[in-house]
Amino acid sequence: MRWGVVLVLLLFAALIPPLAGLDENLNPDASSRFQIFLGTSALVLALWAISYNLMLGYTGMVSFAHAAYYGVGAYAVALVFKRYHLPILVGLAAAPFAAAAVGFITGLVAQRAVRLYFSLLTLAISQVLFSIAFTWYDVTGGDNGISITLPDQLSDYTTLYYFTAAVVGVCLILMFILVRSPFGAALLSIRENRQRAAAIGINVKVYELAVYTIAATFAGVAGGLFIFYQQQAYPEMLYWTANAQPVVVALLGGTTTFLGPAIGAFIYVVLDNSISKQFPYQFDIILGAIVLGVVLAVPGGISDIPSVFLRLRERFHRGEEAEAAPEESAGDAIRMFDVRKALASDAIQAEEVHSGQTLLKIDHLSRSFGGLRAVEDVSLEVKQGDRHAIIGPNGAGKSTLFNLITGQLKPSSGKVIFDGRDITGKPPHVIARTGIGRAFQITTIFPKLTVRQNLQYAMLAHRGYMVRPFGIANRKFSGEAQELAEAVGLGTLTELPAGQLSHGDQRAIEIAISLALGSKLVLLDEPTAGMSAYETDKAMELVRRLATERHLTLLFCEHDMSVVFSTARTVTVMYQGRVLTAGTPEQIRRNPDVQKVYLGELEQEELGA
Amino acid sequence: MESELAKLLLFTVGGLANAAYLFIVAAGLSLVFGALRVINMAHGSLYMIAAFVTVVIANQLGAGLGFWAGLLVAVAVTGAIGAVIEVLVLRRVYGREHLVQLLGTYAVSLVVAGAVRIVFGANYRTVASPIPGNIYVGTYSYADYSLFMIAAAIVIAAGVWAMLYRTNLGRNIRAAVSDPDLLNATGVNVTRLYTTVFVIGAALAGLGGSIVAPSQAIASSIDTDVLVLAFAISVIGGLGSIVGSAVGSLIVGLVVSFGILIPATSPYSLAFVFIIMAAVLIIRPRGLFGLPEN
Repeated sequence: MRWGVVLVLLLFAALIPPLAGLDENLNPDASSRFQIFLGTSALVLALWAISYNLMLGYTGMVSFAHAAYYGVGAYAVALVFKRYHLPILVGLAAAPFAAAAVGFITGLVAQRAVRLYFSLLTLAISQVLFSIAFTWYDVTGGDNGISITLPDQLSDYTTLYYFTAAVVGVCLILMFILVRSPFGAALLSIRENRQRAAAIGINVKVYELAVYTIAATFAGVAGGLFIFYQQQAYPEMLYWTANAQPVVVALLGGTTTFLGPAIGAFIYVVLDNSISKQFPYQFDIILGAIVLGVVLAVPGGISDIPSVFLRLRERFHRGEEAEAAPEESAGDAIRMFDVRKALASDAIQAEEVHSGQTLLKIDHLSRSFGGLRAVEDVSLEVKQGDRHAIIGPNGAGKSTLFNLITGQLKPSSGKVIFDGRDITGKPPHVIARTGIGRAFQITTIFPKLTVRQNLQYAMLAHRGYMVRPFGIANRKFSGEAQELAEAVGLGTLTELPAGQLSHGDQRAIEIAISLALGSKLVLLDEPTAGMSAYETDKAMELVRRLATERHLTLLFCEHDMSVVFSTARTVTVMYQGRVLTAGTPEQIRRNPDVQKVYLGELEQEELGA
Repeated sequence: MESELAKLLLFTVGGLANAAYLFIVAAGLSLVFGALRVINMAHGSLYMIAAFVTVVIANQLGAGLGFWAGLLVAVAVTGAIGAVIEVLVLRRVYGREHLVQLLGTYAVSLVVAGAVRIVFGANYRTVASPIPGNIYVGTYSYADYSLFMIAAAIVIAAGVWAMLYRTNLGRNIRAAVSDPDLLNATGVNVTRLYTTVFVIGAALAGLGGSIVAPSQAIASSIDTDVLVLAFAISVIGGLGSIVGSAVGSLIVGLVVSFGILIPATSPYSLAFVFIIMAAVLIIRPRGLFGLPEN
């Protein structure tokens, strides 16, 4: 089905010149040259928009500087060809390198910020590059830009069309290989959840810089091709508002499919030439209305319209069919969890146990926010194979301590030693790779990816595959991911988007991700928060059995005292950022200080009940 | 020597006048971002609408009184359009990724740009200053209207400050800036608060557009020109901070003005603004006085 669409698109692209000729024969007013010219511009626009979508759709980055790299590509061709009198194809070969170099350097700058501030930083970069093109008269020709005349071999419209189609085709194939490779999987992970991506060991910033540079490279090719049919490079190509074109095109066609923006480009060019010639101002309004409609009603763009119809139809049929379709999971994962199967799964790598050895050592760790000392001089040790609970009233510093261990926060002073390595202040992805898995307090998974992909991508990241820009990510570790999912009771749900699962099932995914990462130490931040009593029992049973049979080391914080005392072997009590005391559950239960600050009221409640 | 001093004074006044209208616009953008966490890409469009409305009414009724009438109408019109945008578009995108919000408001700016060109045409328009007259310093002179712009910005700054720190509405806005979730829990009508804030932001954009009209030629491209400067200011000063908007406006206004003063740098005066913007973002990503994201 998908390949059918691709084939139709290819055939259509190949037939544009003959079709245009036919149209001219049938309809003497039509100019086949102009139609072929439009076809060429649609191809270039498609390449530009798809390169933009590598960031927008696949990684979730909004850049205002993409037009600048397009412009750099055009200027590169113009300069090489006109100033250095080299063949124009040398210029086209230089365009991606020039754009990549500028993209890499400016990307490095833009990386200083994330999300919204990243977008604004790219805006500043774009304006600086525009100013350079606009004012550096000797090189760029200032506001006049640079005009070129094509060599004879390429000046024929049909030849130029097929030449452009070939270059665009090669670029699209390269990008397609990229997006379904493990590298592409890393990008999707980042788009879905930056925090979780880092927690499975992805160096988010490096991947973002890489995709930013790659996108700039292909934009450079597009800009280089632009000058072939427009025969001009001018500074407005770099102005920040020029980014509207690839954004609108990508959005129009759909950001969730690879070829969506290509369809968008074709529609855009047709609309542009049928409407904007006669009604230039109305065209803006129509464009705005389309973007608004897409944003508000069809987030997936035109290529997503079939699924919108499906959703609508589903809504009509909800009444009868709702029960038949397993749209959402019912929290079965915990119930169906089969520890033996989980343990037998190849996905979990065996690790030797040295009981009694210190796995995690926290040494005089402190962190303050302004005047508030959230964690102050905390020292504790977690032994291999231990189940270590941290308890304390709200604001005791438990979550801050966890964030200091896994690198979300950097300590003001003190040390964190894990497995003999000093991991103090290391970034989250490095710490994840040393073998600390974490289930966050708010469930942190990749919601739009399937359950299977959630586990597969964790395995890819853990085993160092994500740097690969080739191969098919979804085929790697598919079996192992299925096994692991079955083992945690999610076997029937592997093809559902993880975000559709029930709360309990999502927590099971998080634990399974930790298993897929082969973590030696698993941090659980309030593992039973938001669960029913039944779910809590089952979840903790799973955790306990896993810990026992796999010799996993657990460090968890929890408010539910029955969970703490039934699971923990060691308990550390924190109070106002400090360690109050530590010991066995029995010692803690009897400690009068603990009762005073924390347990007292709970015990009394229990007695009263 | 005296003429050098006079020149310096002239460019300072010019820079402050730039800073004045930019502050009014940027304060609106920043206020909306602070309370709603939305970057309004249509902010420049509201500014442009107001500038055209003011010019048309002032030219119809005659400079002087006509200008003031135009200003009032323009502010009312932009406030009303702001309400429509908030209710029809923004309400549906709160809480979604900022990408959706950027694109949604960007779409609005496209619609407005097209509509403005249909209604007002693509030609430049000008309007006579309601406060004619110049002050001469040696051979140099500057318009009295520049001083009015500076005074107006100071009054607006004081007004916004009083609104934020002396009224109930301001207290709620500040609460929304520091913790939107908590505000939800306290029983404040957040929906209405958001509409109100957006209308105030839109009206400020409109006020900026009206006030700038006599000092510049008005064309249908001023929406993106001012938007990109307002972004630069907000980024330098910090999104969500009115003090930041003021400091950012002064920096941008003076840099643009003095960049032109030195012949060697004059073509690059706008580039300087963005180099400063990039430098601030690199050293301190949230801006000088800005809120951290989330």
